[in-house]
Amino acid sequence: MRKMVVLLVAVMMLVGTFNVLAQTAEIDIFISMPEYADPINELIDTYQEEVNNEVEINYETTQSDYPTLLKVKLNSGDIPDLFASTSGKEIELYKEYSYDLSGEPMMDTMLPSVKKAMADADGNGVYGFAIKGNYFGLIYNKDLFAQAGIEKFPETISEMETAIEKLEAEGITPFTSGFSEWWVFKHLFQHFLVAAEDDVQALVRDFENGEASFSDYPVLEDNFFHFVDLVVEHGDNKILESSLNTEISQFATGQAAMVIGQGPWIEDSLIQIDPELNIGFTGYPVSEDPAESQVISGADQAVRVSSDSEDLDAVLDFVNWWYTSDYGKSWFTDVAGVVPPIEVEIPEDYYQIIQEGIKASEEKGSAPLAIIYSTDSFHSAFGEAMQTYVGGNATKAETIETIETKWQEIDGSN
Amino acid sequence: MIFENKKEKYLFTLPAIFMVSITIYLPFLISSYYSLTEWNGIDREAKFIGLENFKTIFFENNQFFDVLIFTGNYTALFMLFSNLFALIIALVLVQKLKTAKLLRGIFFVPYIMSMIIVGFIWKFIFSQGFARLYEITELGLLNLSWLGNSELAFYSVVLVGVWQQLGFYIVLYIAGLQAIPGDLLEAATVDGANIFQKFFKITLPLLGPSITVCMFMSLTRGLKVFDIILALTQGGPGGSTYSATLDIYREAFQYNNYGLGSAKAIIFFIIVLILTQIVLKISRRNEVEL
Amino acid sequence: MKRNSRLKINYFILEVIAIIAAAIFIYPVFLMFINSFKTFREVIIDVIALPQQLNIDNYFYVIDKMNYPRLFVNNILITAVGITGIVAFSSLAAYIIDRSRSRFTSLAFLFIITPMLIPFQTFMITLLKVMNIINLSGSRVGLGIQYWGFGIPMATFIYFNFMKTVPKEIDESAFIDGATTFQTFIYVIFPILKPVTATVIVLDVMWIWNDFLLPLLMVNDSQKTKTLVLAAYNFVGQYNTQWHYAMTAMVLAIVPSLIFFVLLQKYIVKGVVAGSLKG
Repeated sequence: MRKMVVLLVAVMMLVGTFNVLAQTAEIDIFISMPEYADPINELIDTYQEEVNNEVEINYETTQSDYPTLLKVKLNSGDIPDLFASTSGKEIELYKEYSYDLSGEPMMDTMLPSVKKAMADADGNGVYGFAIKGNYFGLIYNKDLFAQAGIEKFPETISEMETAIEKLEAEGITPFTSGFSEWWVFKHLFQHFLVAAEDDVQALVRDFENGEASFSDYPVLEDNFFHFVDLVVEHGDNKILESSLNTEISQFATGQAAMVIGQGPWIEDSLIQIDPELNIGFTGYPVSEDPAESQVISGADQAVRVSSDSEDLDAVLDFVNWWYTSDYGKSWFTDVAGVVPPIEVEIPEDYYQIIQEGIKASEEKGSAPLAIIYSTDSFHSAFGEAMQTYVGGNATKAETIETIETKWQEIDGSN
Repeated sequence: MIFENKKEKYLFTLPAIFMVSITIYLPFLISSYYSLTEWNGIDREAKFIGLENFKTIFFENNQFFDVLIFTGNYTALFMLFSNLFALIIALVLVQKLKTAKLLRGIFFVPYIMSMIIVGFIWKFIFSQGFARLYEITELGLLNLSWLGNSELAFYSVVLVGVWQQLGFYIVLYIAGLQAIPGDLLEAATVDGANIFQKFFKITLPLLGPSITVCMFMSLTRGLKVFDIILALTQGGPGGSTYSATLDIYREAFQYNNYGLGSAKAIIFFIIVLILTQIVLKISRRNEVEL
Repeated sequence: MKRNSRLKINYFILEVIAIIAAAIFIYPVFLMFINSFKTFREVIIDVIALPQQLNIDNYFYVIDKMNYPRLFVNNILITAVGITGIVAFSSLAAYIIDRSRSRFTSLAFLFIITPMLIPFQTFMITLLKVMNIINLSGSRVGLGIQYWGFGIPMATFIYFNFMKTVPKEIDESAFIDGATTFQTFIYVIFPILKPVTATVIVLDVMWIWNDFLLPLLMVNDSQKTKTLVLAAYNFVGQYNTQWHYAMTAMVLAIVPSLIFFVLLQKYIVKGVVAGSLKG
C-alpha cells in the first residue's frame, strides 16, 4: 500500500521535473486583444531576428475569460512577464504585481495622455504601456446620409431625431446597436458622462461613494436613456441579439446607417465586406449643445510588466525597443494599423475612422476617456442592467437604482 | 466471503482515492477555507471574516436564490426532455428500420462535439440562421428573439443542452431496451396485450437500471450546466440565464469576490448532494431486478 | 399476408418520420460544414445557401494558422495518458468495492463517486495552485494525469454498476485454482469487463478530447501544449467577426472525434449492449 503511494508520487515528481528544466532568458507574454495577434507575432519575430535571438518569447492571447485566466495565474504564482488590464482604475488593482516604467527610456516617446492613463490611484508612476491609442464615437455611412439628404451630421439630439426620420423615409434602418455585448453600453455611456461634468474622474468617484446620483444630471437621467430608447426604436430587429458581428454585417451591407459603441477596430472587417464603404466617424449627439458632441480619445488598454519577472532586464529591453527603435515606432501604424500611443506621423492614406477621428478632434476637441475610471467588473454589471432595461424587464428608475448601487458595491472602496 | 480479511480492499481502492483526493478534495477544501475570507482573488493575502459571506448570501441579497431557481428550472426541463425524447427515439430505433444504425449515429454526433463549439454553432443558428430561414419560410417562430428575450433565452439554453446530450441517453436506453428478453414481449403479444400495455407493463419496469443511470446522469449534468451558457448567452440578456456555476464563476472572477463565490459554491454543493441522494433513493426503489 | 404488408407500411412511415427528425436534428452541424467552405462575403450574405464552389482555402489558412498537426499530437497524448489511468484505477476499485462489501468499501465508493457532484468551477483556482506545487500544470502528460482524478468517479460508478452483474462464482473458481486477487482481476475479471471498458473509453475519449476549462487553465500557455478545442476557441475569439474561418476551425476541431466515432460506432453500441446483457 505504501509502495503504491510512493510510486504514484514518484511518477508525478518525474513528470514534474521535466517541466522545470528551464532555458535561458524567457519572456512569457499573456495579453488580451487577440485582434493584434498577427502584428505582435511579427514584432516578436523581428526582435528575435534583429536584436536578440537568445531570448525565448512565448506569446499567448485570448479574449474571453482573460481576467479570469490572469487571476488564476497570478494566484498560482505562474505570473506572466507581460500581462494586460484596462488602464485607469484597474492600474491600482494589479499594482502589487506591476513594474513602474517611469524611469525607462520608453517614456521619451510615450504620449502624455497615455502616461496619465497608466498612473496609480494617487496619480503616481507609469504601471503599464499601451499597444494602441483609441478613438470612440459614432460610425456612420456617409453615402446613406447623403442619400437621405442629410448634409450635416446631427450634433444635437433633436437634429438626430430629424435625421432618423429622413433615413427611415428612405427605407434605411438608422442604427445597429450591438446591445447583446455588455461593453457596447460603456462605450456609449461615457459620451454622456463626460458631458455631465468636466472633471469626469471626480464624478465617477462621487458615484462610487454614493455622493452623486443620476437625478443631478439631466444628461445622464434623461438624454442618455432617451438616446438608448431611440436606438431601440430605430435599430435592429432583435435588439438584444445584436452583437458586434450583427453591427458589422448590418453596416457593411448598407442596411444600417450608424453603428453604436464601436471604433477604429472594426474597420478591417467592414472593408472586407465592402471595400468601397464611405465611413464617417464623429461624436454622439448628447444634448442640445453641438459643442458637447465630441469624439473621445485615449488608451483604454494597458500592458503591464510583472515586477516579479525572473528576467526583468530582458523584458524591459524588449518593451523599450518596442517603443523607441525605428522598427518598433513604425510598427504601430505600418504593421498593427492602430492609433499610435507614441508621438509619430500618421500616414496620409490611413484608416478612414482614425483619420476622421483626428479631424474631429482637431475641429472640436476631444473628450477624455471616461471608461477607464471604472473597472470592467462594474461595466459588465452596468451592461447587464441596461440590457434588462432594453428588454423591458426594468423601468428607467429601477435601472438607475441598480446602476447606482452596483457602482458603489463593485467599484466603491468599502 | 473470501474477501473479508484481505488487504486488497485497501490496496485496490487506493489509487482511485489518492487521485480523487489531490485533484478534487484537496483543492475543494482549500476553496472552502476561502469561503470564510474576504478576498478579491488578486491580493496576496486573504482576510479571515468567519461566516460573513454566508450571512450576505442568506440575508442581504436574494440574487443567489434567483440563480438557484433558474438552475432548478433548467435541470427539471433538461431531465424531462433528455429522458423523454431519448426514450422515444430509442424505442423507434430498436425497431427493424433499414436506416436504424445510421440514425443512431446521427443522433450521437452532437455528443461528441465540444460544448463550447456547440454553443458557438447555435449562437450562429439562432442569429444568422434563423433570420435567413425566416426570410425564406416566413415562419413566425423563427423571427422570435430566441437569445434576446429573457424568457425565450431560457428555453433556448434548454434546447441546446438537450440537443447536445440526447445521443448519450439514446445509447443507454437502446442498450436497456435490447437487454429486455424478446420472449417476454412475444408472450405478452400472444396473450393479446396491445403495444401500450406491453410498454407500461413490461418494457418500462424492466428499463429500471437504464432509467436510474440516465436520471442520475442528467441530474448532475443539468445542475452543473456551464460551457453551453458561457458560449451561447454568457448569462444574458440582462443576467437572466445565469446558472449556479456561472454565477459562482462571475462572483469570483468578474466581481472579484472570490471569498463570496466560494461560499456560494459550498452551499450549491450541499444542495446538489442532497438532490442526487434523493433521486438515487427514489429510482433505486422502483428498479426491478431481473 | 395482409397483416404483414400493413406492418411493412407502418414501418415505412415510421422510418420516414425518423429520417426527417434526424435530418432536422443534425441540420446545425450541416450548416457549420457548408459555411466552412464559403468566403466571408458568402457567409454574410446568405448562411443557408450552399457554397458556390467547394472552396478549401479556408482550410489551408486555418490549418496553417492553428498549427493543426501539433495540436493533434497534443490531444492524442493527453487523451491516451488520461484514459489509461482512468480505466486501470477505476476497474480495479470497482471490482474490489463490489466483491468485498464492507463498511470501508462502501465509504470508499461514496468517497470516489461524490466528486461527480462538485462543480469544477468552485475549486479551479486552488486546483491550479496545487497542480503548480506538484508540477502537473503546464505539461501534456501532467494534464493527462489530472484527468485520472476527474474521470475516476464516473468510470468507477459505471464499472461498479456492471460489476454487480458479474457472477461471483467466476472469481471463486479462479481462487480455487490458486490465483491471487490481483491475478484474478487481471486474467479473469478485466477481460469480462471488456465491453464496459469499451464504453468507458469511448465516453472518456469524447470528454477529454473535447474538454475546455481544464486545458484552458493548465496548458493554454504555449503553442506546444495547447489542445484542439482550445485552439479553436482562441481562434474563434480572435476571428470572431470572420465566421468563415471560425466555422472552419470548429469543423477541424470536431472532425477527429467524428472519425473516431464513425470507425468505432459499432463497437460503442456493441459494448454498451453486451455489458447490459450480462444482467
